[in-house]
Amino acid sequence: MGNKRVCRREFLVQASTLGAAGVLAACAPKTGKPTVAPSEKATTAPAGEVPVPAPAEGTLIRLWTGWGGTGIRKAMDEIAASEEWKEALGNNTFELKDAVEGAAMLAAVASGDPPDAGSNIQYLDFMARGALIAIDDMVAASSIIKKENFIEGNWALAFYKGAMYGVPAIEGFLRFALNYNAKLVEEAGLDPDNPPVTWDEVYAWHEKLTKKDSAGNVLRIGLNPYGAMGEGFWYSDGWMVPTSWGWQWFDEDKKTFDLNNDKMIDAFATQKKFIDLVGVDNLASLYSVEGRDTWGGAYNAEVEAMIIEGYWHPGETANEAPEVAKHNRATWLPVPESRRGVKPQGAAGHLVVIFKGSKNPQGTFKLCEVLNMKVACDAFFKHLGWLPSIKSYYDEVDASVYPGLDFYFRSAHEATEFYWPLRCEITEFASNEYLNLKDKVNRNEMSPAEAAAELQRRCEEEYKAAGFAE
Amino acid sequence: MAALLVKRRWLSVSERRRLLTGLVFVSPWLVGFLIWTLYPLASSLYYSFTRYDLLRPPVFIGLRNYVDLFTSDPHFRVVIPNTLYYVGLGTPLAVATAFLLASLLNTPVIARPTFRAIFYFPSIVPATVIAMIWGYLLNPQYGAINAVLKALGLRAIPFLTSPALAKPTLIAIGMWGSGYYMVLFLATLQNVPRELYEAATVDGATALRRFWHITIPLCSPVILFTLVTGFIYGFQDFTLPWLLTGGGPSESTEFYALHLFRNAFRYLRMGKASAMAWILFIIVVGFTVVLFKSSSRFVYYADTNE
Repeated sequence: MGNKRVCRREFLVQASTLGAAGVLAACAPKTGKPTVAPSEKATTAPAGEVPVPAPAEGTLIRLWTGWGGTGIRKAMDEIAASEEWKEALGNNTFELKDAVEGAAMLAAVASGDPPDAGSNIQYLDFMARGALIAIDDMVAASSIIKKENFIEGNWALAFYKGAMYGVPAIEGFLRFALNYNAKLVEEAGLDPDNPPVTWDEVYAWHEKLTKKDSAGNVLRIGLNPYGAMGEGFWYSDGWMVPTSWGWQWFDEDKKTFDLNNDKMIDAFATQKKFIDLVGVDNLASLYSVEGRDTWGGAYNAEVEAMIIEGYWHPGETANEAPEVAKHNRATWLPVPESRRGVKPQGAAGHLVVIFKGSKNPQGTFKLCEVLNMKVACDAFFKHLGWLPSIKSYYDEVDASVYPGLDFYFRSAHEATEFYWPLRCEITEFASNEYLNLKDKVNRNEMSPAEAAAELQRRCEEEYKAAGFAE
Repeated sequence: MAALLVKRRWLSVSERRRLLTGLVFVSPWLVGFLIWTLYPLASSLYYSFTRYDLLRPPVFIGLRNYVDLFTSDPHFRVVIPNTLYYVGLGTPLAVATAFLLASLLNTPVIARPTFRAIFYFPSIVPATVIAMIWGYLLNPQYGAINAVLKALGLRAIPFLTSPALAKPTLIAIGMWGSGYYMVLFLATLQNVPRELYEAATVDGATALRRFWHITIPLCSPVILFTLVTGFIYGFQDFTLPWLLTGGGPSESTEFYALHLFRNAFRYLRMGKASAMAWILFIIVVGFTVVLFKSSSRFVYYADTNE
């Protein structure tokens, strides 16, 4: 045994070296975790080519959703307590993280530590950039997720360049109707049994329903066409303007935009009339309180008499403002006079997508299946008023439970035109630019024609700059 | 020839050991700096020359992001003047408010510690809470301020929803939270020698002249510091405008950081956002250099001026 004593300095040097090595080791990427973004090739890989990790037992399955609030938690708690869920979960554990901001989701995925699944997120951003697992094989083997069970529009949303990247789940049905408060309509001397059909007729109602005090402060408005489903457009919902005016704003095959046209110009001009009556600052003030980030807030507070919303509106209003919900009725999305007689409707909805990097894609998919079972659909309908995309479930729903809901069911059969969201990879950009430009139009800083031309130009440039035009 | 004769001196064993020991001791910081500061900085510079969306590998596109910002991004032409207005007006006003408050609280007023605490309090409140508080206070429908106006039969003021008022309102809210600067000024004011004031008083100087010729010059280094840091923070300000106005109405509060965030995390244009970050860095460095270069005209350093 040699005389190997460690002096104080040597000890400190060695300890520090070890410490530094430890820090370095901690900073090094963990084995098995993706440290770089998925390759571009994977973006366009057809179904089956994307390697799916083998199922693992005993893992934590994480679902992150953009939705927040007690409703989604209550529904998920109820589902999690069901036998179907427990059986699908096996010895895995499940964690729901709600109200996840888009940037947080993006950061998690980009950093190589995504949740297993996501919902109410920017689906197309992740599909188009190869961050999701193609689930065609899992769907083909499933006895629950079958194309024929789902509404066509909702099913179509799950596909990008031929591969299926998500399971329609949690929420999905029809998107457009003019909901109105029959009590307020009646008080204004209007006939709630004879609702308006065209934008001109809606404007006449808007005039009568809008109220200001003697100082000019707005007490109530008829309709803000830029509220709720008119606020912008989303991949999960579609766009009210092309649905009402009747055209396709983006050609998925040619990758071209059609935004600088007479219909777009007319839409800017028509909606401006509604804003002019109220006053653009007044409306912004009203919505900064009642409507911002809480769709239907102004309607629930009865400071807005009409609102363009999807089928969820009757149920959500019943949960949030039962006294107001009693007076809710729904009718067709207004159309321009030139399209009188057309009954447009839009179908869309949400997906649950599985991220590349999921530790247990098969286990996650099993949970997606449960989210389409009756027990889950019942829970979402009960706590949130949401309906799934599954056609057979509609026969089980008592449409009379929420006033106005029956219209949406009727509209599914009576609609003369059906629309669903288009796969435009810069949808969020286009929507934000549309909202920016409508502000310019409403504040007389731009004419409707100039705004339409500018919207077209900006979208074309962004599409090119983002690398999708190549 | 003499140079050739100079021998390069190598470190002795003990010196090398000391150097190594020193390096080992600073290595945690060094490693942290390399990983969390230098690497992201260098990466963002590289990304600024690429088309990068965070999810796919970056594609080198040269200067296109920079060129596009100046030639084809209509919002960039809006956010630059918006930000200059916000920072150029907001920072000096916040500094001036803090300085005046500190001067006031440096006088023997009743309950001085309580007032100091009250004025300092907003600066420890998180920005999200400040946004909530002011959002409700200025609310056009049921905010306290507009409720009073309405009760008097007047029109509500659209503080945050009118393009003309939104920026000044945000600046005013920013001034409310300048308690941190106030504390700095208070500490400085308490170090101003009393005998200077006494001498000036004996010479017949009024309170205003004493303030102008003694207080301000002796506090000028701290004024410069607060202006520099204020400008730097102002250019990067995000939370309040994002939460209170979201950049609206009509882009009137779309500031640099908001546009950068939107491009990076909403439109997944991280390359463009990186280019914006570097342009912002150059602007901030420019501002700082100008301030420091011109500081000799208005900053009094006792040691050098003596």
